[in-house]
Amino acid sequence: MSMEVNLIKHGSDAELKLNGYIDASNAANVEKILTDVAGQFDNLLLDMTKLEYVSSAGLRAFKRAYVDLHRKGGVLSAKNVSKSIMEVFELTGFTRLFKFV
Amino acid sequence: MERIKVPAKIAALDEVNDFVGRLLASRNCSEEVLFQLRLAIEEIFVNIASYAYFPAEGEAEVCCEVLEEPPRVVIRFLDSGVPFDPLAREDADTSPEALMRREGGLGILLVKNTMDDVQYTYENGKNILTILKTL
Repeated sequence: MSMEVNLIKHGSDAELKLNGYIDASNAANVEKILTDVAGQFDNLLLDMTKLEYVSSAGLRAFKRAYVDLHRKGGVLSAKNVSKSIMEVFELTGFTRLFKFV
Repeated sequence: MERIKVPAKIAALDEVNDFVGRLLASRNCSEEVLFQLRLAIEEIFVNIASYAYFPAEGEAEVCCEVLEEPPRVVIRFLDSGVPFDPLAREDADTSPEALMRREGGLGILLVKNTMDDVQYTYENGKNILTILKTL
């Protein structure tokens, strides 16, 4: 499978471990998971330790999660972002969506 | 110059990546270069799959050549869909205000900023987009 997502609950906050990659073939599925989780929790931490690749399709998924959380005062965080993925965030301005921890 | 023809559909993206991957297999490219190439290929190919023939369907041709001195790869994408120059537009606005409004154009922005050269031409009824990356 191209992406495996593991949810860890910390009270009213959630952590999602994103393992694999997000591209045009699976971004819609990933977006659904992110928005479902964002809807149920106050804050969301994305552990990108094992996230190997993200394209612009993946950025849309992150943006949806950010908007859903932000609307209710929540924060989207990210940790262990690879150099290549950080470059994608920097080039597109998407670093603004995340609190990097 | 090796080439393949695939349906201009997202489902064919893996085949395009495998094709280029095979030609680069012996080159020991860095993780970063491989990531950037995978990204550029996806952004270009997905644009063709999404817009070139919509709502009809069509084919895309992908050509790839690895050159020496300096070591570099050239990848060319051809489609016979609607004439469209993705380089003709202004770069997507990445300011905070624009970020929340739209994300159109991010794909080509990523291509332009990760590849060493990007060229577009329209010839013999085909859109031809060529990228070059030093290895």
